[in-house]
Amino acid sequence: MKRENQPTRHRLDATLTVCVACFALIFSSCAPSHADRIVIGSKNFTESLMLGEILAQEIEAQTHLKVERRFYLAGTYICQQAILSGRIDLYPEYTGTALTAILKQPIGSDKSNVYQRVKHEYETRLGLTLGPPFGFNNTFAMEVRGDDARRLNLQTLSQASAYVPRWRAGFGYEFMERPDGYKGLAAAYGLRFSAPPRIMDLGLLAPALKDRQIDIAAGNATDGLIAAFDLFVLEDDRHYFPPYEAVAVVRQQTLQQHPEVAAALAALGGKINDREMQKLNYALDGEHRDPKDVAHEFLHSKGLLP
Amino acid sequence: MERIPQAAPVIEFRNVAYALPNGKPLLAELNLQVESGETLVLLGRSGSGKTTTLKLINRLLAPSAGEVRVNGTASAQTDVIRLRRSIGYVIQDVGLFPHFTVERNIELVPRIEGWSAERIHRRVEELLQLVGLEPKIAERYPHQLSGGQRQRVGVARALAADPAILLMDEPFGALDALTRDELQREFLSLKRRLNKTVVFVTHDLREALRLGSRIALMEAGRLVAVLPPEEFVRSGDGLVAAYVQAFADGCELVANRGSV
Amino acid sequence: MNLLHFFMENREQILELSLEHLWLVGISTLIAVLIGIPLGILSARWPVWNRPVLGTANIIQTIPSLALFGFLLPVPWIGERADRLAILALTLYALLPVIRNTYTGIRGVDPAVIEAGRGMGLTGRQLLLQVELPLALSVILSGIRVAVVISVGLATIAAAIGAGGLGEFIFRGLAMVNNQLILAGAIPAAILALSADFGLGWLEKRMRPR
Repeated sequence: MKRENQPTRHRLDATLTVCVACFALIFSSCAPSHADRIVIGSKNFTESLMLGEILAQEIEAQTHLKVERRFYLAGTYICQQAILSGRIDLYPEYTGTALTAILKQPIGSDKSNVYQRVKHEYETRLGLTLGPPFGFNNTFAMEVRGDDARRLNLQTLSQASAYVPRWRAGFGYEFMERPDGYKGLAAAYGLRFSAPPRIMDLGLLAPALKDRQIDIAAGNATDGLIAAFDLFVLEDDRHYFPPYEAVAVVRQQTLQQHPEVAAALAALGGKINDREMQKLNYALDGEHRDPKDVAHEFLHSKGLLP
Repeated sequence: MERIPQAAPVIEFRNVAYALPNGKPLLAELNLQVESGETLVLLGRSGSGKTTTLKLINRLLAPSAGEVRVNGTASAQTDVIRLRRSIGYVIQDVGLFPHFTVERNIELVPRIEGWSAERIHRRVEELLQLVGLEPKIAERYPHQLSGGQRQRVGVARALAADPAILLMDEPFGALDALTRDELQREFLSLKRRLNKTVVFVTHDLREALRLGSRIALMEAGRLVAVLPPEEFVRSGDGLVAAYVQAFADGCELVANRGSV
Repeated sequence: MNLLHFFMENREQILELSLEHLWLVGISTLIAVLIGIPLGILSARWPVWNRPVLGTANIIQTIPSLALFGFLLPVPWIGERADRLAILALTLYALLPVIRNTYTGIRGVDPAVIEAGRGMGLTGRQLLLQVELPLALSVILSGIRVAVVISVGLATIAAAIGAGGLGEFIFRGLAMVNNQLILAGAIPAAILALSADFGLGWLEKRMRPR
């Protein structure tokens, strides 16, 4: 009788299973290294995309790093999660959004105060930091049609509040839900709409306003279509809306590994004002140009490409 | 059948009763002694309590009342694992481990008991020869064997650690008549070579008369009679006689018992 | 640019997201197996546990996945990091097939084998480890296979809450109305699911007791 000196078929199978399982685990837990590249994220609207592309091209031009783009991430929470877990290295954010939606703290109206508070919290608690502000304040803009504004002689939101009950409002999802959005605004200005606001995608607000489907919209101060559609931005005379300075949020670890990125971010500081951002947005939304071309043109015009 | 007179019985039932958890009694007032070296057959129809009695010996069941003693010690006071390892157990469906080869099936208890590989190997060879199987069957899997071969492996497995007691629950019941006959004959020859105490459950009187040194007839959870085969077939007891009657050629069997 | 070209151009990102996806599925399946198999053994051994254990797992399965993600978001520690949340949710969904198949596999072992094993003097643990589990392995693997395939699909939804993985391509592609991006997520995910199903199915067949 032959001595059984090989493992039985069953033991072989068991070993095989364990090996496969181990390999799968090891394989799946190896995060691809970010040693030589930077991953830039952006939210899923035009302005964020534009800033993301500008950041990407600036970093590509100024450093020897390869840049990977992960644009159109679906919202603030997704971007936040991505940067915390290291899946992206930086993305464009707004100071007001960071303070209220991410840090969940009460907002103020002083923009440098807001910037400093966000920077401090990010650095101490989250391992993130901010680049210098790009130079524009994309706060919420309550927009009405130009002819309405002229006809009713409206300049400020306080003046408009008298007509609000007769108007239909259009808001984006985030505006409806955020603490610094609709609820606070209605309280601050005593706004009472007779019909519930229509909720729609940000990109559809301006056309809906122009086409008289809505009468007032919560858009953004840098909307590309404001001038194009003859829309008027009501002044926030009670200073309800907090500042939303656009900044790059970046992982501290990324800056440690690649200090040259900080230089690239610094170069972009203060280079885009409100009007310039509107024009950039319009180039994409209104003229439907390629973001890569628009970004390149912009950087070139500012002398930011070496 | 020789009976080795011994002072203390190997297995003893003292006033044992067994009832199911729902209260239904399966055994009552059981008093029985199994002598060393004998083959005690528990005979009876289905539901008579014979399998229950068997399972009380290796404590697969625990008595509701009374005491079961094995080798002088109450089984309730013995470590149940040690008890079972010192008793061989063969059942009708054999219960070979389908994922083990024949060799691995047989060697399981010795391996757990920590025998050396050499000793195990020799033992398996020895046992295969003992139960009349070819050595190369060691590498086969149970599903590749016939019913008769499987039961031989079952017996070999039960004998692996050389237990003094062997319990067999209708071991040949699932086999065809020819194979059954063959295995019964081999059982007898095995018994001659090995000195084991065997408790054997069957409902077949012919098998009982052929294999047993004593026959214990059970009916409705009670022990009716314990008699050696010759006395059994001639017994005047109502139940015993009824049983014998049910097997028409009972008398001829007594005459033929000598030719083994 | 055609699809193949797109895939080649973006292969690094596709690979990275695929690995992220595998990580989510792998970790959650592993945890589900570590919890589920003992629970399955428990309910097979002591049938009184059968109803509560299987019942709970069943209830969890009926909760729609996106709703479960939503429930878990406000939970402290879990809700703070999307990957933790996703792994927890995926683990919960993987539990039922693993528990149920472990239970079925063990119960399905021939009672004669169990009786012979007990009668031979195998301890409960020896019986479990040397007899019951090896014989139940094929069925248990079948449960794991189902769990993995479910997880690969669910993990694509996890991207909706920021956990990453191949779903991110799909959601980004939807937002940009970019079919290639959508397919860059959908095709690898489908391939992952099919490979897992095929691979584990093959393993399952080898383990089947003869």
